Order: sequence, then C-alpha cells, then structure tokens
Amino acid sequence: METIIALSTPIGRGAVAVVRMSGDDTLSIAKKVFAPFPQHARVMQYGKVTVDDFADQAMCVYFSAPHSYTGEDVVELHLHGGVGVCTAVIDKCIEYGARMAQNGEFSKRAFVNGKQNLTNAEGIIELIEAENKLQLASGMNLLSNKLGKQTIDMQARLTDMLASVEAMLDYPEEQLETEDLPSVLNGLMDISKQLQQLLSTVKTGRIIKQGINVVIVGASNVGKSSLLNCLLGQDRAIVSSQAGTTRDTVTDSINYKDITINFVDTAGIRKTRYKLEQEGIRRSQCAINQADIILYVVDNHNTVIPNMDKPTIKVYNKCDLLREDKRGDYVYVSALNGENIVQLKDIIYDTLKIGQIDMSNVILTSARHVEVLTRTLNCIKSAIDNSTDNTADCIAQDIKEAWMTLGEITGQTSSQDIIDRIYSKFCLGK
Amino acid sequence: MTQLKTNYQCIVIGAGHAGCEAGLALARLGIDTLMLATNLDTVAYCACNPSIGGTAKGQIVREIDALGGQMGINTDKSLLQIRMLNQGKGPAVHSPRAQVDKHAYHHNMKLTLENTQGLTLRQAEATSIHVNTDGDYIVTTAVGIEYGAKAVVLCCGVYLNSRIIVGKMIKQCGPNGFSSATQLTQSLINLGYTIKRFKTGTPARINKNSIDFSVMEEQKGENIPTFSFMSTQPRNSASCYLTYSTQQTKKVILDNKQLAPIYSGEIDGIGPRYCPSIEDKIIRFADKQRHQIFLEPEGDNTNEYYVQGVSSSMPADIQYQIYTTIKGLENVQIMRDAYAIEYDCIDATALYPTLQSKQHAGMFFAGQINGTSGYEEAGAQGIVVGINCARYLQGKSQIIFRRDNSYIGVLIDDITTKEGNEPYRMMTSRAEHRLILRQDNADIRLTQLGRDIGLVDDDRYNRFIDKLYKIHQVENYLDTILSPAVIQPFFDLLGENQLKTGITVRDCLKRTSVSINELFNYLDVFQDMDSQVTQQVEINVKYKGYIDKQLIQIEQAERMESRIIPTDIDYGQIKGLRIEAMQKLDKIRPLNIGQAGRISGVSPADITVLLVYLSRGKG
Repeated sequence: METIIALSTPIGRGAVAVVRMSGDDTLSIAKKVFAPFPQHARVMQYGKVTVDDFADQAMCVYFSAPHSYTGEDVVELHLHGGVGVCTAVIDKCIEYGARMAQNGEFSKRAFVNGKQNLTNAEGIIELIEAENKLQLASGMNLLSNKLGKQTIDMQARLTDMLASVEAMLDYPEEQLETEDLPSVLNGLMDISKQLQQLLSTVKTGRIIKQGINVVIVGASNVGKSSLLNCLLGQDRAIVSSQAGTTRDTVTDSINYKDITINFVDTAGIRKTRYKLEQEGIRRSQCAINQADIILYVVDNHNTVIPNMDKPTIKVYNKCDLLREDKRGDYVYVSALNGENIVQLKDIIYDTLKIGQIDMSNVILTSARHVEVLTRTLNCIKSAIDNSTDNTADCIAQDIKEAWMTLGEITGQTSSQDIIDRIYSKFCLGK
Repeated sequence: MTQLKTNYQCIVIGAGHAGCEAGLALARLGIDTLMLATNLDTVAYCACNPSIGGTAKGQIVREIDALGGQMGINTDKSLLQIRMLNQGKGPAVHSPRAQVDKHAYHHNMKLTLENTQGLTLRQAEATSIHVNTDGDYIVTTAVGIEYGAKAVVLCCGVYLNSRIIVGKMIKQCGPNGFSSATQLTQSLINLGYTIKRFKTGTPARINKNSIDFSVMEEQKGENIPTFSFMSTQPRNSASCYLTYSTQQTKKVILDNKQLAPIYSGEIDGIGPRYCPSIEDKIIRFADKQRHQIFLEPEGDNTNEYYVQGVSSSMPADIQYQIYTTIKGLENVQIMRDAYAIEYDCIDATALYPTLQSKQHAGMFFAGQINGTSGYEEAGAQGIVVGINCARYLQGKSQIIFRRDNSYIGVLIDDITTKEGNEPYRMMTSRAEHRLILRQDNADIRLTQLGRDIGLVDDDRYNRFIDKLYKIHQVENYLDTILSPAVIQPFFDLLGENQLKTGITVRDCLKRTSVSINELFNYLDVFQDMDSQVTQQVEINVKYKGYIDKQLIQIEQAERMESRIIPTDIDYGQIKGLRIEAMQKLDKIRPLNIGQAGRISGVSPADITVLLVYLSRGKG
C-alpha cells in the first residue's frame, strides 16, 4: 500500500509529538530522515532527525509487517513538541514519497489487513458509514465553499484542455477546431498561477490554525527572557543577569484577540566557547527560520540590527532606564515594569495584518488539500517545463495526472468524463 | 455410406472479423471446430471502411499479430496503402493505418480458413442454440441439421435481427443486403441474456470515374514497417483523397431535416457518437462551416470508392443531392446508397473478462454482438475467445488480458465491467497506460504469452528472440563512455553545448536533438541493425521518466487487481454497502477489487467496505 503519514498526537503544544507512518516505503523513507536507524523492530532508538535546514534529537521505533497496528511496516518518530519540527519532518517525508493520511486511514488499514477481530470489524463499518455521511456533508460543503468552487473550476478547465489534446491524438486526421498545444500551455500557466496563489495562503491558513510564530532574538543579556515572561504574563524562562543563561529555545503561547501567538525565546547570539551554548545558538538559527515575526531586542541605540529577511520588530528593552526625549524608531518596552507590552502585542498582531484577512477568501488549512494542490502544481509544472522537449503524448500524461490529482478533492476521476467531453465539444468521426 | 459429421468440439457462429480469429485460434490450438456463416461471401467482409487500423485500432492489430493472430498478416497481404498516424506526437500514439482491397481481404482470409487443419467452414444460418441433458450445445441450422459441441462461440456481428434504413425504406437484412439472422436472438433471450439494440451506419460507394480528383488533396502511403511482424515490404501504392462538404451541403440537409429517420423517429437504436451521420454532424455542430471527407479506394478490381464522413440514412434522392454538393463530387455516380443499420447485441457484463458467459460454461461471445464497433475490436475479442474456448475444452486455466499489458485487456475489461449505452470504439485515451501499450512493442508485451498459449509458431518465435537479443546487444552499448574529443564534433553540428567530461551513449540519447540512428551513423556502430531494434532502445531511453511513472502506477493498480473476490460472495450480506453499489456488484460480479473499483456507481467508500468484509473472512 501507499505510504501514509500523520501527526498522531494533538496539534499544538506538548513536550513530545509522535509522527506515524505506515505502508510499503515506510522504512526507506524513515531511514532518510532518521539516523542511526534502529537495528531491530520494536526497540526505541535515540538519534537525530534531519531535514533541510535543521537537525534535532528524536527517538524512533519501527514495527515490521504484519506485527504492527496496521499490519504494514510502521514507523513512529518521537519528536520535540511544537509545530515547527513536526511540520518540517512530515513535509520531508512527503517529499520522499509518503502522503498525508486521511482521517481514520490507519484504522482502516488495520481492519483491511485483518488486524482486528470480527466485533471490531462491525464497529468499523459503522464508522465508515458515518464517515461517508461526513464526507458527503463535506462534499456538499466543498461545492458551496470557495476552495471547492475554484478546484472544480480548475478541473473543468483541465477537462477541456485534455479533451482538446486527446481529440487531437485520437483523431489526427480531423481538422479540429481545437485549442492547439501552445494555447493549452497558456491555459496551464493560468492554472499554475492560480494554484500558486492558493498555495500562498498556506501560511495564513497555518497562522489561523496554529498561531503566529514570534521569535525573540538579540544579543546576550538584553533581557529577552524577561520580555518573554512579561509577554506571557508568567515566569516561564529562567532569568539572570548573567549573559548566556538561556541555552535552549523556550516556547510558549498566549491567545491574543482571535489568534494564538507562539513566542520562542532564543539563546543570545554571541561567540562562545561553551559547546552547549553553541548548540543553543544553532537552535536559535533554526527557530528564526521557522519564524513569522522576529522581535529583535536591544538595550541601546548602537546595536546594528542585521537584515533578517522576515518581518522584524525592533524592540528597545529596559526603556525605564532611558530618558523619554532620547527615543527613536523602536518599540520601547520595559520587561521590568510592563510598559508598552500591550502595544507590542498589538504591533505583532498588526504586522501580519491578521485583522485584515478576509475570512471569506480561500485559505488553505487542510494538510490534505495543500498536499493535493502541490502535487497538481508539480504535474502542471512538468507539463509546462518539458513542453519544448516532450511529445504530445507525454504532455497529455502530465495534464491527465494533474486532472486525476485534483479529482482527489472533487471526486471526479473517471476518464469517461474526458471522452464525453471530447464528443460534446468536437464534431468527430467517419 | 458415410454419415454427415455433426459433432465437433466447438462451433463458431459467424465468420466475420471476430469469428475468423476465433476459429483460427481454436483450430490452431488443436480444437476440432465448425464455423457457420449465413453466407460464405461474408467471411471477413469489410462492411464499412476498406481500412484496418488507425489510432488505438492499429495498436490492437499489432497485438493480435504479436499473439499469433491473422489480422495483421491478412492486412499486409491485401494492402493498398499503409501510413503511420500521429508521427511527431510521440510513440504512445503512433498508429499504423492501412487501406486494404476489401475483396482481396475477404478472399485471403477465406482461403486461410479453408486451408487450416481442424477447421470446417460451412454456409448455414444458425437458428437456435440450446443445451441438451448432457450439457452439450446443440445448434440447429435453417436447413434443419443439428450440430452438437461441448462449446459454442457467438460472433454474430451485426446480423441479429438487423434492419437497414434508407429514408422510408426499412428492410430486414444485414449489411450490404446480405440476409440477417432473424431467429437466433430468441434463443439468447431463452437462455437469459439481456438484448440491447444498437445502430451504426455506412456511407455511399461511388464510381471513381465520376470523381474530380483534381480539386482534392492526394494522400499517399508512407514507408513504414508492415502491419505484421512477419510480413516483408508489401505493396503500398494507392492514394486516398481529401475533400470537403460545402455550404450547399448544409443547406440541402437542413432543408430536408424532417426526412431524416433519426429525427422522424424511425430509428430507435442507439448510435455511436464517433460515427455520426452527415445529417447528425450538420445539425449538432451547426457552427462548423465545412466537414472533411476522405475518399478511399475499395480495391484493385473495382472503381468503387468509399466516402468517409458521409454516412446517412436520408432517402436515396436526398443522399444524391447531398453528395453532389461535395467539392469534386458534382457529377457523382452513386453505386450503393448509404444506410443506417440496427441490430441486436447482448450486454457484455454478462461475460467474464475471459469472454466466457457467467451463466453458461463453454459459451463464449466476441465482436459486435458484445456491443463493440470496429473490425479490430472484433478481431481482438475473437482471438481471446479462441484462446479461452480452446483452453476451456482442454481443461486449462483461462487467460485474462490485463489493462497494463494490452489494449485488448483495456477493451475487454471496459466492456465486461461498464454497461455501455453506445457501440464501444477503442481510443488511446481509454488506455491509462498508453505510454507502455505502444504499437512498436506489442511483440515484446505479448509474443511470449502467445508462445506459451501455443499460437506463436517457431518462425515467429525465433524472429522475436532474435529481436530481443539485438535489443539487449544495443542496450549493453549504452553505457559506453564517449570522450569529448569523439562526440563534440557531432554535438557542434546539433548546436549542443561544450562537453568538459566524457558522456555515456545513454546520456547522449537523452538529449532531444540526438537521434539514435544519426548517432550510430556518426559513431559507425550498429550500421546494419534493424531500425525496429534501435527505435525500441531509443524510446526506452528518451521516455524513461514517463515510462517509469507509468510503471509505478501499474504497480499500484496491480495491488487492487491481485485482491481476488470469491466467486460465491453474497453482496446482500455485506453491511454498509449502498444499495446501488450492492446491485451493481451483484450484476457485474467482478473478479477482483481492481475491477470492482471501475464499475460505475461503486464508490471508493464501497470498496473499503468490501475490503473490510473480505478481510473478516480471513480472521
């Protein structure tokens, strides 16, 4: 069976998160992200999970088919909690060939593979029935929501294009008034743009679902941890006057207005000979990569703030020590007495224009939708990118694959639909 | 006094394109076979186009040939012209198409049947089939002779209760005025088969001397390989001609629309969308200014031309008027009128994908009686039925052709799984594994199977093995590394970039501008190599990415195909199946989960329920 992957623990905070994968390629995919891979089944192994821009400690255990929950090869990766690491690992595994599991798919496989007894099987049929009703309901919803409409519209346009290309291939002798290949490619570029636009809402979707990641950075001893505690309204991080106190990143969240804000406190960036602190600084870099907003904290006006390539709020801490008339282009706060902390939260909120998000627009929040649309985009890109080198039969295959993939959202995947379209659109035949 | 022999191992009813392949395969596999035809002048008769092949159909003929069938050889023997369609659009859609001398085609095939050991060809109309108490099939003929056999193959084509329609004239007869079979349908009804009524049509035949070819576009043959892997370079000299309908054509049809039987309600059969009559085309696609029309020669010893694109069931005088409006046909002399034909066929979902009846062991169906259209589709079913019927009689396992190994597999899976409401025509877009199912590799896909079955003789098999060996030889050479000094001058000619390091022959071939034959010429290797061998290697290299993708899809599909559904399953007992799905599954009775998933009206959720049910049985 195809390899499926999903987060098995609840989304959000938690000390540990478990990502589970099941299917034929499970072990080979897991070996690409985790090392050293456990030598034996059912033995937990400590090691490192490595994706593009970071590595992190993790634990891994695998179960060989059929001795697993699903009856297939299963791997569990026990990762550090929090959204960033899990998302990155899941993304990487998808890149290596896994796909997002659908709701209840692990259980379904367990039943299909005979891992459950008869009584449970009766139960699962009811579950599937219930799920069907849900699917039906969400299908109706798909029709009435904008993502559904856009997807159906895109697929309809792909159907037209495929009908043109297929008619051209199956009726080479007819002088069809069909779109020629260049105009089909133009149409594909339109769809590609539309898909990219849709996928660009992923970040917004993630923010709505999981919150804004705000990373607090700055030189050592400017009071980043104090600021975190102040923003959280509780003592979360250890605070001391000694530079280099925070060695690991510290994460916690608050709900502000209608959104969650996840604050990450980082080790102060400085040259250090302490190994542990070096590791902490490396993690800071990793946190910065996952950030939506950076709070760059200073305690004097002489600090040069590097360009972080992300929305950055310059925060001047310890403003209680500064005379009012000396203030410039900073957000002046005092972690000590709480001055301007609410304003800082407002600025964070406003930076990503959260209040201005039009919730009636399409915002992708489902990992499955994101994955389907990404795969569709890849097929379309392949069709466009190879159009000068490839013959029509290959271009048609890419378009067909894009069409089939979109069908995973719309439910339309029967090639009879394309054939029907060919005959309704063109006058064909001897 | 000797007795008339009335007992055979198998009786084939019908000697059209399906019947011929079926009968030949049966006899060649050692079955004592009787073939009945209402009229022996209808053997392998090309009732419509004098043409074999075309998109998807050309691939099918190559497959029949690769299995050891007759259609490709007979086409090459009777050839007037051969061309390769879709050149430049990629190997997946390259399709050979031949014009044949329809009379030679008939004669050549008939002679082959007559000379085949174990095959008895007999003119007789089968009027009834019934099963006797021993379980034998008894076929009664119109002249009162009863034949008995352990198995029976029905290849009745469009002859069952057929009637042809020209305007107000409706006549009980088969194609071209041949007599129809009016009694056999009742036997099928008695045996429990559902009868459908389909319709198709054919254009007029006109005299060459009345055609003004000077205003038309000539279309000559091309120098391409023969249809059969066994033939040598055949004659390829005839031309076809392209012309167009005019505004006048449209006017004549619209002025006389009320006389068209299809609009006046005289015709109730369901016609195919891909073979519309000219009146259909003009009325349905009113915006189209002109329709193209091909003139195809019917043979060497006749002046008759087939007018592709102008089928009609209009009254004969209106037909004449329509034809005179076509560019170059102003002085047309029609020799045979166009007509529509209606006929009985069965619902092929009554058959297993082996084409054996689900209700009656030893009863097989092939060709237009199964609701398909086309000589090639018929021939494909014919050879499959021949193979499976022989194996049935010999107690061997049935052969199922798969969607991932042949168009034949796609065709049979489609018709036995999906209920069709119009005659089924093969198209390349129906084959999801099109890049694998090519005309150039039909032998590689199927000849070994044909050999195992027993239809591929030593001559064909040795040629096949030789070809495989040569392909292997050339493929071994692909990893040879060429130094920049050797290959750069060639790349310069093609405008390719400067090389800094050596490059393998394979990587050279991956470049779009590099063709294998030019490269081998330049390197002075494999100069005498058969071009079909080098082409095979080239396609495998150039299309590797896409071919690999299809292979993955095939592997995924295979997992569903390999989940067998027990034949005695009671769908009514499965909790959670929707009623529609339950009824469909019970009607089609799919052999495996893959086939179940292709039934229209069965959803992925139904399949999950089915899988759960099946897995319960294990535990």
